[in-house]
Amino acid sequence: MAGVVSPEEAAAKAAAAAAPEQVAPEKVDYLNLPCPIPYEEIHREAMMSLKPDVFEGFRFDFTKGLNPQFALSHSVSMGVAEIPSQSTETIKIPTAQYEFGVNFMDPKLMLFGRLLTDGRLNARAKWDLTDNFSFKANGLLTGEPHMSHGMFNFDYKGSDYRAQFQAGSGALFGANYIQSVTPHLSLGGEVFWAGQHRKSGIGYAARFNTDKMVATGQVASTGMVALSYVQKVSEKVSLATDFMYNYMSRDVTASVGYDYLLRQSRLRGKIDSNGCVAAFLEERLNMGLNFILSAELDHKKKDYKFGFGLTVGQ
Amino acid sequence: MASTARKGGVSLPDKRNPRGGAGAGAAGSGIVSRISESPIVARGKRAAGDAAFVTKKLLKSTGKAAWIAGTTFLVLVVPLIIEMDREQQLNELDLQQASLLGTPAVGQK
Repeated sequence: MAGVVSPEEAAAKAAAAAAPEQVAPEKVDYLNLPCPIPYEEIHREAMMSLKPDVFEGFRFDFTKGLNPQFALSHSVSMGVAEIPSQSTETIKIPTAQYEFGVNFMDPKLMLFGRLLTDGRLNARAKWDLTDNFSFKANGLLTGEPHMSHGMFNFDYKGSDYRAQFQAGSGALFGANYIQSVTPHLSLGGEVFWAGQHRKSGIGYAARFNTDKMVATGQVASTGMVALSYVQKVSEKVSLATDFMYNYMSRDVTASVGYDYLLRQSRLRGKIDSNGCVAAFLEERLNMGLNFILSAELDHKKKDYKFGFGLTVGQ
Repeated sequence: MASTARKGGVSLPDKRNPRGGAGAGAAGSGIVSRISESPIVARGKRAAGDAAFVTKKLLKSTGKAAWIAGTTFLVLVVPLIIEMDREQQLNELDLQQASLLGTPAVGQK
């Protein structure tokens, strides 16, 4: 972090060296700090380049907007489903499914519904009650017992802070708060209580962002330590790295990735310390027609996943 | 040779003692057998066997490493090169069009 000097800082330093008597360090208006990004999204940039949703097999997504607010989506996926087993090798069985979705989007209210052929129903809603206060709900209904769950979020967005209260099925309660401390740095904390498992926890997070880089760190009493760093090399290229450590299970994972945003395509690649290499390419063939290629090689497990897909609409 | 290879962590199979196999009765009967049973030849044979074994292991692991490096390169770097090349071509095309039409390529970004 210390090694990175933004051009503005360099210019300011040069100016300071040239005219030391005129040094007027830019006053930070601590009453007018920018609003931080939501607590659960502090790793957003790193996730974007390091966690592309790789898939195996074939995928076809079609979205049709009936009017500006209302859209229907159809998606077909054919591939394999992995079943975790006791042995190190995962068992793969071929599956195919169809998903029907309905989206309703309005500046104040957003509703999403997804219905799968295996009987799962996923519904999401986001409702902005006022400019500052919003309500989110997320529900999953399945045919299997004890797998259905729901989650409700109440968000409050202040001028330089955000607070959120969560309540979910299984007596899950959580609250988090994030506050901008300087124009670049924001700090946050969370508490949660899972009544069903009689577990509670506390976590802290910090995020430092300039227009060239983003560094985040998060610790939680579950033993999780997550650090990430994203450097925007240019407008098109950003490099990301992250480090995950779990104190309880002694799991350590580090990964490095790149994210190329070109005119006609977007390419993401990453390699991690488990010997897993992944690449994800989205190529725009035409307006509203995207071609997706996905590859994941797990050298350690000898598990190779390749997928291709088409996205039509939007 | 053998001792250094053992230090290197490569486990070598135990060699039969060549003298035991040749039989004590035939010892000293001819110059050929005397040479073939001399300790120098025995050591040489052993060293050659060890060298072959180590080379085989080395080749195997090198092949594995090359496979991993090659497939990683195929997945991570080859698409990148292709996409960069396409981008370059598009940029050149834009430049050509701009020079042909005589208008600066504004808005085509």
